[in-house]
Amino acid sequence: MSDTAVSQRRPLGLNIIIIGFLVVWVVLAAFPFLWTVWGSFKVEPDFFSRQNWINAITGPFTQRQTGSAFTGDGYYGAWVTREFWRAVANTAIVTVSVTVISLTLGTLGGYALARSGQRYAFWILIAALVFRAMPHITLVSGYLLPFFELNIWGVLPTSIIVLVAINQPFTLWMLHSFFLSIPKDLDESAMVDGCSRFEAFRRVIIPVMWPGVVTTGLFSFLLAYNDFAVTSMLLSSDNQTMVPKISSFLGSVQEQGNVMFAVAAVVSATVPLFILVLFFQRQIVSGLTAGAVKG
Amino acid sequence: MAQIRLKNVSKRWNNFIGVDNFNLDIADQEFLVLLGPSGCGKTTTMRMIAGLEDITEGEIWIGDRLVNKLEPKDRDISMVFQSYGLYPNMTVYENIRFPLKVRKVPAGQHHERVMAASKMVELDDFLQRRPAALSGGQRQRVALARAIVREPNAFLMDEPLSNLDAKLRVSTRAQIKNLHHTLKRTTIYVTHDQIEAMTLADRVVVMSKGLIQQVGTPMEIYDRPANTFVASFIGSPAMNLVHGEIHNGVFTGDHIRVDGLSTQVNGPVTLGFRAEDAVLADSNAHIEAPIYSVELLGEATMISMRVAGELVSIKVGKDYRAEIGDVVRVNIAPSACHLFDRSTGQRIATAG
Repeated sequence: MSDTAVSQRRPLGLNIIIIGFLVVWVVLAAFPFLWTVWGSFKVEPDFFSRQNWINAITGPFTQRQTGSAFTGDGYYGAWVTREFWRAVANTAIVTVSVTVISLTLGTLGGYALARSGQRYAFWILIAALVFRAMPHITLVSGYLLPFFELNIWGVLPTSIIVLVAINQPFTLWMLHSFFLSIPKDLDESAMVDGCSRFEAFRRVIIPVMWPGVVTTGLFSFLLAYNDFAVTSMLLSSDNQTMVPKISSFLGSVQEQGNVMFAVAAVVSATVPLFILVLFFQRQIVSGLTAGAVKG
Repeated sequence: MAQIRLKNVSKRWNNFIGVDNFNLDIADQEFLVLLGPSGCGKTTTMRMIAGLEDITEGEIWIGDRLVNKLEPKDRDISMVFQSYGLYPNMTVYENIRFPLKVRKVPAGQHHERVMAASKMVELDDFLQRRPAALSGGQRQRVALARAIVREPNAFLMDEPLSNLDAKLRVSTRAQIKNLHHTLKRTTIYVTHDQIEAMTLADRVVVMSKGLIQQVGTPMEIYDRPANTFVASFIGSPAMNLVHGEIHNGVFTGDHIRVDGLSTQVNGPVTLGFRAEDAVLADSNAHIEAPIYSVELLGEATMISMRVAGELVSIKVGKDYRAEIGDVVRVNIAPSACHLFDRSTGQRIATAG
């Protein structure tokens, strides 16, 4: 009701501009993804047509090769023939481990740094910021030789550790500032009420911190999920996660159909992110507007 | 039984002295108020008793236990914080119940004790609300209920009324006084408001710059302030302090001449008297000065004058009318005068 009242008061021209801007923005943002989803059900000569881009929409080659306008060949090839499910499982292991480890160390460390009155706490945070600012690839190149020597190159735990190391400064910073926004009185009243320091943390602070933990967890998850630099350098081809696997599909264009595996795999890799954001949107918003946590 | 004893307790941060050599015995069931301006170390003292602040030097005993190294949870005290420190994710009921839960009080007793505590502070209608949905006064009462539910040895209250509006402050003050009477527990109360201190305390400790200035009952502190700091801190308005010279029992200064004082003191002193101890006179008065301002208080009128460089307030009847600049004459009974050493500010004991 009030919305219509507001829009009626606006001049028509302004309304057209506002709506036009929104439409353009939505199209710009959503188009690449929608295009990819549509194209993933076509064959390569259509989606990467050299004659006419309309082919990607109408799909005459798909019709000719498979007898229908849509085909699941790309998905079949990627998931079954080239065992993309293996990469999905690896990604699940890596992202879950990275998120859990980062959050455990991050909440404990962030809380300690937020409540510590010592001056070194500040320098630890500054050092963390410096490491966070470095490009990931600078760390990886240094790791390669030691990992070969120690014979731990190519396996999942190694990249999990490296990703945690890269991610930790960020989680530490973020959680630290969340903890700072929680008044000290809360810990202290819990301690007087009968909690030890750790119990106060677990029973009083973490429940209040929940939106912050979820938000930080989500960012850690995305970092691990989207990472290319670390996983492509540190994992052998059997242990690849999704992103390097997709890249390897793209890298072998000589064989027809492989590019379509990549397209199908990209769509498969994006879907979980949508579900995740839809599911956690409330926490993300409340986490990003932190400071709403009052004593 | 919970006497609390502080022996030579000090708190230092690097070079800054928070509390210096604090010695005090607090009797069982006593209501003790720590009073002083902000930064005087009163809250630090309380936090050291609670165990939230390390003690640099000295010993703190609660009952017959030395608690220097004990965690807050092991000291059997409860505390009301200035900002209340309520748990925002729990309902009022859960907030009050929390201390019982953490201390593993048998679950069967929880409901009864929570209800008893909430009844005492009149919170029964709000038990299912969250702190965010409560007014300041209600939050304050939740904090009180959470403190009393466990019936600890001692209560510590850190300026519990300072976030309330003036009217609520008066009624909650009465409630705290009544709770102390009902529960009969040692209570330590920190405030910068001298009226709270006067109304609540069995004994008041006046602090300044980390040092105890005076310990005594409210009346002792009001009637016989130990130094000029206490004199200027207690009472509303504060005691008038005038610098001058005393010789043979006569105090003289600019616009002021008071006779009949102690003859044992000679030299530069500070004379103190309270606004209500001054009376208007016709002639031959102790103070004769033009009026600086007139304030109507309702039950009385306050007039102030510049005497010996200081602004002096006196209380007169509510019907008194005068203009700024009029000269008034005021007498002060010698027995109502206090003498302080000019350089140290310490009270000079006189026979009278």
